[in-house]
Amino acid sequence: MTTTGWRNGLQAGIAALALALAVPLAATAQVNNPGLLVHAADDEPTTLDPAQVEPGEGGETVILQVYDRLLDIGPASPELIPSLAVAVPSVENGGISSDGMTYTFMLREGVTFHDGTAFTADDVKYSWDRAMTMDLPEGNAGALSDVVASTEVVDDMTFRATLSEPSASFLNSAVVSMVASIVSQDAVEANGGVEAGTPNPFMAGNMVGTGPYKFVAWNRNENIQLEVNDDYWGENAKLDVRIEIGGDPDVRVLGLRAGEFDTIETDPSFIADLEGVEGVTVYSGGLLLEPLHIGFNLNIPEGALPSEDTIPVDFFHDPRIRQAFNHAFDYEAFLNGPLAGFGAFNAHYTPIGIFGHDPNAPVYSRQNYAEAERLFREAGVWDEGFTVSVITEEGNLFALMCLVLKDSIERLNPKFRINVLAVAESVFDDAHAQNPLEYAMWAKNADPAADPNFYMQAYQHPDGEWGEVHGFANGYRDAERVASLIDQAAVELDPAKRAALYSELQTMLYEDPMWLIGAQEGVVSAHRDWLMGFAMQPLWPRPSLKFAFFDK
Amino acid sequence: MQLRDYILRRLMVLPVLIIGVSIVVFTLTRIGGSPVGIYLSHEMTPDEVAEIEARFNLDKPVWVQYIYWIRGIAMGDFGWSGVAAAPVADVFPLKLAATMELAFASGLVALFLGIALGTYAGARRNRLPDHLTRIVAVSGASLPQFWFGILLLIIFWAHIGIAPIGRSDAAIFASIAHPTGLYTIDAILAGSPTALWDAIWHLVLPSITLGYGATAIVARMMRSALVEELQQDYVDAARAKGLAERIVLKRHARRNALVPTVTVIGLTFGFLLQGTITVEIIYRWPGLGRWMADSVLRGDQATLMTYVLFTSVLFLVVNLIVDLVYANLDRRVTLGK
Repeated sequence: MTTTGWRNGLQAGIAALALALAVPLAATAQVNNPGLLVHAADDEPTTLDPAQVEPGEGGETVILQVYDRLLDIGPASPELIPSLAVAVPSVENGGISSDGMTYTFMLREGVTFHDGTAFTADDVKYSWDRAMTMDLPEGNAGALSDVVASTEVVDDMTFRATLSEPSASFLNSAVVSMVASIVSQDAVEANGGVEAGTPNPFMAGNMVGTGPYKFVAWNRNENIQLEVNDDYWGENAKLDVRIEIGGDPDVRVLGLRAGEFDTIETDPSFIADLEGVEGVTVYSGGLLLEPLHIGFNLNIPEGALPSEDTIPVDFFHDPRIRQAFNHAFDYEAFLNGPLAGFGAFNAHYTPIGIFGHDPNAPVYSRQNYAEAERLFREAGVWDEGFTVSVITEEGNLFALMCLVLKDSIERLNPKFRINVLAVAESVFDDAHAQNPLEYAMWAKNADPAADPNFYMQAYQHPDGEWGEVHGFANGYRDAERVASLIDQAAVELDPAKRAALYSELQTMLYEDPMWLIGAQEGVVSAHRDWLMGFAMQPLWPRPSLKFAFFDK
Repeated sequence: MQLRDYILRRLMVLPVLIIGVSIVVFTLTRIGGSPVGIYLSHEMTPDEVAEIEARFNLDKPVWVQYIYWIRGIAMGDFGWSGVAAAPVADVFPLKLAATMELAFASGLVALFLGIALGTYAGARRNRLPDHLTRIVAVSGASLPQFWFGILLLIIFWAHIGIAPIGRSDAAIFASIAHPTGLYTIDAILAGSPTALWDAIWHLVLPSITLGYGATAIVARMMRSALVEELQQDYVDAARAKGLAERIVLKRHARRNALVPTVTVIGLTFGFLLQGTITVEIIYRWPGLGRWMADSVLRGDQATLMTYVLFTSVLFLVVNLIVDLVYANLDRRVTLGK
């Protein structure tokens, strides 16, 4: 080739590259994949069966779109709205009995399942009874069975549930939960029926609901496809949906920038790559209802701790030590570092955004070394020092929270040592499920819920799920008072009185913390500008999106 | 010993070897950690954990678990994959097909590109094209796959928007049956040019990414072999006969140079299979590599044991075949006593 030929070739190459780079700029004005919403999810569901799905797990995202429940939560506020029930039961409208024990739901007429069968009260009873009968350990049947004593079909369009005791949180925590989704009785009975303690393989991989979307296909490791249900009882969805599963997070970000994806699941650490990108909107409203916490174990078996740990098994029985850890943590570093500024600090243990959160309650939000040192000295561990391990999953926010704790504590006193044991998720889950727990501390996030009673029962009650495992009764300054307040609030039907009880608890638990709450993570999402009707509701399962609202 | 007796003896030993391998695989995997973690959620109570253990027979002594595992395999049940949320036996053939198709396509890229580049460079030894080809070859061998893959993705998927990621267009995938799991073959069997084009188009970027590294090896091998062949006397004789240089190269030198190159190509296939992990993650290719990477990270032992057992048995069988072929071809090989 002559010199001129090389030069011409080079010029042609540069021109082609320039054209190639110009294309996406021009393309940003167009709408990609019209009529189809492409959502890039971060993980594969483990099941699509409402009776089997774990709260917070990827399957809930799909269940939310395909199944309906009796009641729902709207996009704009935490208020309950009718769904398959035509009204939210209350004492005033006769839906709730005066003793708070019986809930009657008037059902919507003319609703059909995606298989064409008619929806009746039999399906509601069947769906709830099914979940409670199966009672799968990985599922959330307890949300129903812990409060529901019996279910009853009053007539074709009336369903009644009788509770085992009055519950102020029944509608908010049980009726709207994914486990309470209404499935087609005919479809289940034709495909394996119900067997106690045994998953239904058909329902784990197929869906027959009444929701705005019909299930089309689940190509594992690839995508899940949904199509608009044209016979939906409410306003029809506008876009079919393809949920792209998994893959590298950088590729999801790249796909959103390129317009190949309309919405992506991401975390705050990727937001810097998306801010200011033409055609992309970063949404950061609200907070996830899953506080990031580090647990203190007050029930450590003798000789169980890692050999490096020097603390006695009753180390965290002393509330001053738990307080000192809370004071020593560098909250600002965690919020502005790993969370990229998206988050807030919440009280023990009522997340911001749900009923009962008291904005005036004291909150650990600022590192206070002076107070931490005073408390450690009072507790008698300052001069001698200690080494303690904290176990967590590797490679995520939990591990980073542990590293912030390590840095915070070790900088306070060189004699203090925190060993961060960052392990694979399955190893963590295995260790975390033991009772008694063989680690002094662990880091994770809370399960999400729409009612404070869930958090208080699970994470603060001395006889609750974690209270029992962690031995809270060994360490509360006044365990009976904590239990009494939580139990009273659980059945108090007067909202003002109930709020006052939670407020008192939040103040009390500040002085007597059983957790170190690093932060309440902010809701962060990114989507293309061409997406209309975008709405996020933290009370919906992650990623807190209902695709039926979207249009292009 | 007669060849027939030798074959019979090897075939009789094979099941023993497979059982031995299965014991090693099972033991090593169990040493690696508890198998129950993948089935747990982080809020399960000890009672619920016990239920899960009972469901998968993990509450039994380890040797009983092994018996259950082997019995399951004999009945076609390889356990439940927590990562794929499906029985391993259902998912494994699909993933294997996806990976094999990708590796095969990458092999084709390496084969044709490597031979072409090697021939081009070998025929122009120590001239500019040879140096340029060397740069291309060295780049292929030294560029990290994850970097090269992301680079192609940024240019051709994100910027230009002409290349897709994933394995197929969802609508086109649903339009035909998939009896083999090899989408190109399925498309041909279904007589669908659209599906065939879609399958090939989805293969382009991943197979170039994966095949580029192997291209370098093949090209360098081909070049060296060709240079050596071109110095042989028969090449001089061919030229002396007055044959055109093109014919000397294509009909004589290149053909002989292909012999060692083909050996390298065969070995390269193993390299391609290993490399699929990175490429499958980048391009969201639903193959064995991505599945195994997830399984290792999340402790999905049912999947891992199946994979390791599969490759071990494959190795045993291939080794047996090679021995038999070798014994048949070379009579100097003693068949034991």
